[in-house]
Amino acid sequence: MERIVHGMTPKEALQILRQADGYYLTNTARDLSQSDFKNRILLHTDLLAAESRENAQYFSLEITGGASVHVDILRKQVDPFLKLELLREKMPTTMFQTLCRGVNLFGYRPYPQNVIRFAVREFAKYVDVWRVFDFMNHVPNMQAVFEEVQLADKILEPSICFSTGPEHTDEFYVGKVQEILDVTGEDIILCIKNHGGLGTPKRIGELVAAIKQKYPELVIHYHGHNTDGNDIGRITAAVISGAAIVDASDHAFTGYYGPPPLLSVIHTLNDYGKTAVGLNEDAVIESSEVLRNERDHYEYFESQFKGFSPTVQIHKLPGGAMGSSFEQAVKGNFLEQMPTILHDELPKVQIELGNWWSVTPGSQILWTTAVTNVLEKDRYGNPSGDLKNLLLGKYGPFPFHRPADWIYEKVFGASWKKILEEEGGVEDIDDMDIDKERETLTERLGHPPTEQQLVTYLQHPNDAVNFFKFEEEFGKTYVLPPSIFLRRGGYKLGESLMFKDHYGKEHVIEIGPKQIDEKGEWSIYLNVDHQERNYTFMEEAKEAAAAAGPQLSKKEIEDLSKAGDMRATFSCNVCEIAIKEDDEVAVGDKLAVVEAMKMQTPVLSQVAGTVVEIHAKVGDALKAGDKILKIITEVE
Amino acid sequence: MKKILVANRGEIAIRVIRAAQELGYKAIAIYETPDTDALHVRIADEAIWLGDGPRKDYLDIAKVMKAARKSEADAIHPGYGFLAENPEFAKACEDAGLLFIGPTSEVITNLGNKVIAREIMAGANIPMVPGTQNLVPGDEGIKHAIDFAAQYGYPMMLKATAGGGGRGIRRIENDSEMREQIPMARAEAKAAFNNDNVYLEKVVINPKHVEVQIIADAFGNVVHLGTRDCSIQRRNQKLVEIAPSMIQDKSIIDAICETAVKAAQASNYTNAGTVEFLVDRDMNFYFMEINTRIQVEHTVTEMVTGIDIVRTQLKLAFGKSLLFKQEDIQIRGHAIEMRINAEDPKNNFMPEGGKTVNIYRSPGGYGVRLDGFVYQGYTIPEVYDSLLVKLTVHGYSWNETVDRLRRCLRNFVIVGPKTTIPFYLELVNDPDFQEGDFDTSYLETHAHLLDYDEQNTEINKLAKLIAEIHYKEENTYAI
Repeated sequence: MERIVHGMTPKEALQILRQADGYYLTNTARDLSQSDFKNRILLHTDLLAAESRENAQYFSLEITGGASVHVDILRKQVDPFLKLELLREKMPTTMFQTLCRGVNLFGYRPYPQNVIRFAVREFAKYVDVWRVFDFMNHVPNMQAVFEEVQLADKILEPSICFSTGPEHTDEFYVGKVQEILDVTGEDIILCIKNHGGLGTPKRIGELVAAIKQKYPELVIHYHGHNTDGNDIGRITAAVISGAAIVDASDHAFTGYYGPPPLLSVIHTLNDYGKTAVGLNEDAVIESSEVLRNERDHYEYFESQFKGFSPTVQIHKLPGGAMGSSFEQAVKGNFLEQMPTILHDELPKVQIELGNWWSVTPGSQILWTTAVTNVLEKDRYGNPSGDLKNLLLGKYGPFPFHRPADWIYEKVFGASWKKILEEEGGVEDIDDMDIDKERETLTERLGHPPTEQQLVTYLQHPNDAVNFFKFEEEFGKTYVLPPSIFLRRGGYKLGESLMFKDHYGKEHVIEIGPKQIDEKGEWSIYLNVDHQERNYTFMEEAKEAAAAAGPQLSKKEIEDLSKAGDMRATFSCNVCEIAIKEDDEVAVGDKLAVVEAMKMQTPVLSQVAGTVVEIHAKVGDALKAGDKILKIITEVE
Repeated sequence: MKKILVANRGEIAIRVIRAAQELGYKAIAIYETPDTDALHVRIADEAIWLGDGPRKDYLDIAKVMKAARKSEADAIHPGYGFLAENPEFAKACEDAGLLFIGPTSEVITNLGNKVIAREIMAGANIPMVPGTQNLVPGDEGIKHAIDFAAQYGYPMMLKATAGGGGRGIRRIENDSEMREQIPMARAEAKAAFNNDNVYLEKVVINPKHVEVQIIADAFGNVVHLGTRDCSIQRRNQKLVEIAPSMIQDKSIIDAICETAVKAAQASNYTNAGTVEFLVDRDMNFYFMEINTRIQVEHTVTEMVTGIDIVRTQLKLAFGKSLLFKQEDIQIRGHAIEMRINAEDPKNNFMPEGGKTVNIYRSPGGYGVRLDGFVYQGYTIPEVYDSLLVKLTVHGYSWNETVDRLRRCLRNFVIVGPKTTIPFYLELVNDPDFQEGDFDTSYLETHAHLLDYDEQNTEINKLAKLIAEIHYKEENTYAI
């Protein structure tokens, strides 16, 4: 029984997979983190488990990709490339796997071809297995990634996204497989990407069997989520029907929306006479023993709602979006509307918009549309920019049917046909001038970036710069365990924090007193490696509150906007300012584009007049009521 | 009970107050408004406010004399700086019937004038750096200067007769510079000191700065307390001082000390003073000047001799004769003093005044002495000098002393202003310093010692994040 290890060519690996007696397991640690811990599981924790995960001899460890690249820099403050480098040191033989959103790479909207190819080339230096998908199952959207992965001689794993409903037949999916094989050739692994954990074990078994019947030599990797608590059933059916690789993760961290526990999969399939090839069960157990102690520190990021959600079969939200949906409902104060949103509106929107696959970025479009429809009590009356792009076919053709005319009319107005005719179709994105971007980044950083930094920057410009500056100021903070990095409520007086820095030096920080003086300046005393230090902070909260003044109600914000004083109507980031000072604008003109919950929304002028002041700039994070710009209306 | 008015501030005021109180005298402090919270005001028996200052009231002879009268002081100790070497102040005390703790106003006048001082020393056959008298005005003076340079060789130093403290000095490399610079130097000296006299001195290249502590009573007894080396300086300001000098040849040291005593006798010196010499690489030594005051670095001499110099100053001023003879004085071990200043060495030793000392934790233990005036919570006035505390350590051998110094620097915690401590930590690890091998070019030739990484060590960065998480009670970069 030969093991598949890092460094093998795709041909060698595929040969072993095709001849294997049994099945292989991928530890989808990344998907577990994303689905059940809002992507916050830190590199520190993954490094703790690295040795036992290496010893477990998985087919692969899925440890990057999806939203994790963005969250790495945004919320974990770790370089996504450094992360792979450090894990590789501790895991010399295990193949690393990523999840790539095709034309959307590791972001939320399409990137230019040259950016995609550049990013894949850089990541391919670390990543052995490339799972690639497109939320419309539109194969051309994945082609650039396919080509670059194959050029880099890494294992390509194109996906067919799976969902349920009358259109989602075996014939349809087998046809999709053929479309993929037509462009990739035979030497791939095919992924059935069941991001919502949809369908029954019987349905998944049938699908795998149908594909295997048509392509007996094709290696199938089944990926699911345990949202309804039944993914082990689906995994079992998949393997019995011929899937060669399946996904699960460490039981110490399994939750409700991510992968099921590895050991349960192993035990169940054992009884069916199916063996996990090469797997070291003791090492699987050991990983969880190591990880168990860490879980408490992540409690804040676990779902507010405990228990499985079998109603996923109705609303179809992907596992990766479940936790954040509930979080938004709590923060946006519409928790009591959730049953309506999830069980009535979302399924309705899903069908109305074409019953394609609810996965990034499509799942965000469906979710945001359903939430807006319910909260605004005006279905499709407040379309997001991404919904418009979807309707215009910019993400790809609708696989089954186009949404009804009335939706187009509601979104684009009476002249929707003309707009569709003029602007419709897959967007051709011009290549970026990468050298120019490198110059811009050099300017923003004050020194030339590395190629890796540039790749990160090209995908998430502002967040990348913030991260690079964070690192310059605070160093390599991945060395801090979650008990320090994610601590809430402050440390205890006298507490000793011990850790090794990036260079391997041991440190101890003791927490001293925390005092405020009459001017509102806080002094934090720390004993750093036996040297007393003091850090001062001004009471920002007080200052900011005083500066911000009273909060505006939604009605007040609207009234101001109608008077030309454009305000942010919700918390958002500014992506684009479409006008300059002194520009003349008419009612309905696009003034700016803002982004919230990963969705872009245009800010349209409600008055005709002249732009006199622009307060916001690209990259600004605005709160509801913050000024964007001011328009003086024409004097009659 | 006798009353001593201490006409100074900072650590030296405290040093004098301590000596006065130990003798059972009353110590009277004076202060300007920025020093309202100063420690010397708090520990003195009485304190008299002079005015808002800054600096000008400490320098105001009339105001200080008025404070002395008001407090019925018997004597005035001037410390160092401010009025300490102003002969008019000593004269005012003499005229008012107050004891001035130091030499007479006449001695201060003579030794304060470089040309007169050189004349006195020449009369006593004290070796001096070759130099001219005041240059005569006009072309004749320039010609004389050029002839002098031809005889002794460039480079030469052109000095203002009335200058001091590093001011009014310029280096001349050749004849044409000489022609240009003399008129300019005269104009500058006229503007700065209201005296356009200048003279020439040969430059001694990279000398050691060696000085001798002398003490003389009013009965003709003069002793020396051995040598100090103050070569480690920046911009003519001493940073590190040691006692005794590391010159190993005892005959040279003896010759220097005997010369110092001779110089004191020649100038009719009384009370404590310092005779400064330059020592070149061939161990030729030249008289530089006599400082007619207590010096910052007197502590190192006290440590190696066991003699309380300030106490001795007070006793001599009240008419006592010296209690010890030259042969009673023994130099035991080595002492090093470091001036811990509120300065950023990396930023050209820029003063860090105006900052609050948030944490002050000083070292202690065997062989450790501190002369300071700051305390935790004290805000350093911006308007005075940057010296916070003098750390003096004493050890049996040079190595032991350096080890003790390193330990003390490591344990010294001053949080708030930047200080010279991180620089000194580099210095004590420098092989040349550890060998005792340094001259006045030390800082120039050891500029790499300023390359220490202060704020940007990895742990400092991480600690900053931890402080912020602790302050905000969550990691806003992660939530």
